[in-house]
Amino acid sequence: MRNWRRIRAFVAVLGSLALVAAACGPTAPTGGTPGGTAGAQETPQQGGRIVEGTFADIKTLSPTLSNDVPSSTAIGKIYDTLFTADPKSGELKPNLGKWQISSDSRTYTWEIDSKANWSDGKPIIGEDYLTGVKAVAKSKLTVRKSNYQDIEGWKDFVDGKAATISGIKVDSANPKKFTVTFTKVFCPALVNAFGTSSGPLPTHVFGKYVQQSSADEIDKAPENLQPTVFSGPFKFKEWRKGDQVIMDRNESYWKGAPLVDQWVYKVVADSTVLAAQLKTGELNYGTIDPKDLADMETQPNLQIFKYQQLSYTYIGWNVKSATAPALADKKVRQALAYGLDMDAVVKSILFGQGTKMVAHHPPVSWAFPKAGMQEYKYDKAKAEQLIKEAGYTKSGDFYAKDGKTLEFSIVANSGNKVREQLLQVATEQYKAIGVKVNPKLEAFETMVDKLTKGNQEIQAWIIGWSLGLEPDPYGIWHSSQIPDPGKGTTGFNFGAFTAPGFDKAIEDGRSGDCSQAARQKNYETVNKILNEEQPYNFGFSPNALLVVPKNMRAIDPGPFSTTYNIEKWWYKK
Amino acid sequence: MRTYVLRRLVYAIPTMLAVITITFLITRLAPGDPVRLYTFGVTDITREDIEALRRAYGLDKSLPEQFLIFMGNAIRLDFGDSIRYHRDAFGLLLELLPNTIQLAVAALLLQLLIGVPLGLVAAVNRGKWIDNVVRFFGTIGHAIPAFWLGLLMIIVMSVSLRLLPSQGMLTIGAEQTDFVDRLKHIIMPAFVLALAGIANFSRYVRTETLDVIRQDYIRTAEAKGLRDRTVFTVHALRNALIPVVTALGGVLAFLVSGALVIEQVFTWPGVGRFVYDAARAKDYPIITAGVVLGATLLIIGYLVRDIMYAVVDPRIKVK
Repeated sequence: MRNWRRIRAFVAVLGSLALVAAACGPTAPTGGTPGGTAGAQETPQQGGRIVEGTFADIKTLSPTLSNDVPSSTAIGKIYDTLFTADPKSGELKPNLGKWQISSDSRTYTWEIDSKANWSDGKPIIGEDYLTGVKAVAKSKLTVRKSNYQDIEGWKDFVDGKAATISGIKVDSANPKKFTVTFTKVFCPALVNAFGTSSGPLPTHVFGKYVQQSSADEIDKAPENLQPTVFSGPFKFKEWRKGDQVIMDRNESYWKGAPLVDQWVYKVVADSTVLAAQLKTGELNYGTIDPKDLADMETQPNLQIFKYQQLSYTYIGWNVKSATAPALADKKVRQALAYGLDMDAVVKSILFGQGTKMVAHHPPVSWAFPKAGMQEYKYDKAKAEQLIKEAGYTKSGDFYAKDGKTLEFSIVANSGNKVREQLLQVATEQYKAIGVKVNPKLEAFETMVDKLTKGNQEIQAWIIGWSLGLEPDPYGIWHSSQIPDPGKGTTGFNFGAFTAPGFDKAIEDGRSGDCSQAARQKNYETVNKILNEEQPYNFGFSPNALLVVPKNMRAIDPGPFSTTYNIEKWWYKK
Repeated sequence: MRTYVLRRLVYAIPTMLAVITITFLITRLAPGDPVRLYTFGVTDITREDIEALRRAYGLDKSLPEQFLIFMGNAIRLDFGDSIRYHRDAFGLLLELLPNTIQLAVAALLLQLLIGVPLGLVAAVNRGKWIDNVVRFFGTIGHAIPAFWLGLLMIIVMSVSLRLLPSQGMLTIGAEQTDFVDRLKHIIMPAFVLALAGIANFSRYVRTETLDVIRQDYIRTAEAKGLRDRTVFTVHALRNALIPVVTALGGVLAFLVSGALVIEQVFTWPGVGRFVYDAARAKDYPIITAGVVLGATLLIIGYLVRDIMYAVVDPRIKVK
């Protein structure tokens, strides 16, 4: 996950198995002799190219329009962001700029690095940040407006009533300095408004598309497909649609030209092909499926980085389901946590490359509570005890209450092997504790449609979330995000879960005291409620298994960032 | 002839309208909302922004309204902007069409270069072991699923023997004009795409040849004392190949539309793979443009076939 992407989810966690990650803390490479970082005696050498495998082509090279992982990956190579994240801890660090936050947490003052220039030699200035925000404001096709809507003067500019966004002020004495003032305190603003799409855009290129009188010209800008000026370590060379994207090193990169000559993004059919091509050397950068790990570890020419990922696959419970009322009972949900051996699932499905999850935030996140979480270790007897306490008695193979068997359906999207296997294991293990599961598979698009609309046909489901640098859980868990078919509103709180104090903790985490300590406290409350109430069986978080050649040096990826220092990567010849 | 062609083109209009209408209805009525799919996982997007996106793509209007607007634009080959690429859908397909045609033409050449000689050899050696082998191949060629053969060839030719590249059109670093590299990349997908056609042509040519050599004019030619080779090449072969030539139009269209699976297996950057991905994401404009493009190629292919019938075989009158 790019460090400049905001909290967002995407579903293909199986697909993400290839991109993915998980649990193992340290990122020391494995496979043959260690070779991840340069030894003191090694002198970096220039040359070679990075060929990264992807399962899907990019869609755009516009940071304004991008809404998919491949596009964002490619864009991250040509446009730098204002800050970066520590790959291991997620701590934000200055990159293009350094920042200060006012005492009322509403104004951010930025100063762009004096060395930071565009590839054509022009300095990167505050006006370029403004252009990036204006681009989002003028776009009719972006999904990022909510990142900026609380900046003062945003709406007037969107409505064409103002020539600029009044809340963004560039220092006339020092054009590299600018301030951004928000109408209210909003803690995720730092990540969302400065670290995602909001890297500066060259005003001398895009400025003409974002005038007060502009309609949606920014959406049709030819530079969205063929950018001409860059702030990142690479320069766009060619996009062979459906096949590869080629970028040359940016000789004038402000942090120093990359040591490799090119970065190529190559489309491959699937994870099997990706693994095969890593072995043959056709690709030299790619994340593999756990099933390919054992084979890859025997390759003498490759090194593997394993690290925890910010995503998880879960089984969600519709706690308001009229047709599966058992799911409304906390004791039943807790029984479903005890009754499924998730550690065994991780071993069998992920070949041990993952971590059992017990709440929303993955253990690697600063938002995850340090202590006090129930682990829900597999305990069949305890599960059945809880079901009995919920008023059920066993009749035959299954428990029942008021003559109704304790049963529900779980739906997963067909074609996703990890989720299909989880469904199969859950069905079998829940049967062993006297709970009848009716497994169902549906097309992904059908599932998404039903879930986001709050279709009550769905009693339980398997899907995944991929989280980002900013841990705000509002969009997934706040009660305002419960879809309401009656009103026609959609949302991501599919299971209609809420609890006393839950909304408040989420709200305080985003608009109260924005210090990390204060937010951590709020998210501790959120996670503890989730841990206790079990509106999901939180499933597991898979590891990222990043494979590169053994002679690649200086690469040191982590859950929060992988390519933050790509300009320093080199191949020992 | 001109009247015939014009009439066929006029007949094609209702066919195209039906294709467009059916595609529109299927895509719209199938479960799944493209904007919801596109924004799934963007957890901080507001409902207002989702509605704005819906408006931008005209999906906020009623279905009949959408249909009327769509038909009005489709006549001008404007199927709207792709929801994921934010660009003209038909233009995107046209960019990729040369890749698919390249693959289809290569497959067609393989079908002709392998299938026709095999059929002739089998016919000439009727009842002998070589005939049996060709007929066996004809059956197997039809029975083997293309995706399976594709994967098998990748494992054998690319992973084990490392003789041919398994994916894409060009090696990393190769220039667009590197035809040797291009050829290496196209051999496997073209062969897999061609296999069923090779089997088809071999059986077809064998049957036609056996049929022709029993004709009176062949016997007459032999009776005149012509050499066997002359009888075969001048009299038998020319007539036996008439159906092959006339079938080309339809085969090419079939290959273009049938490349979908092969493009997927070999990551060939063609129209088939592109439309398949669009269908999974419910990218309406690309799906519709893809179906219309495929239907147009098919109609043109069959038209060419019918015209070629009349051109190469004077016995057939165009009615």
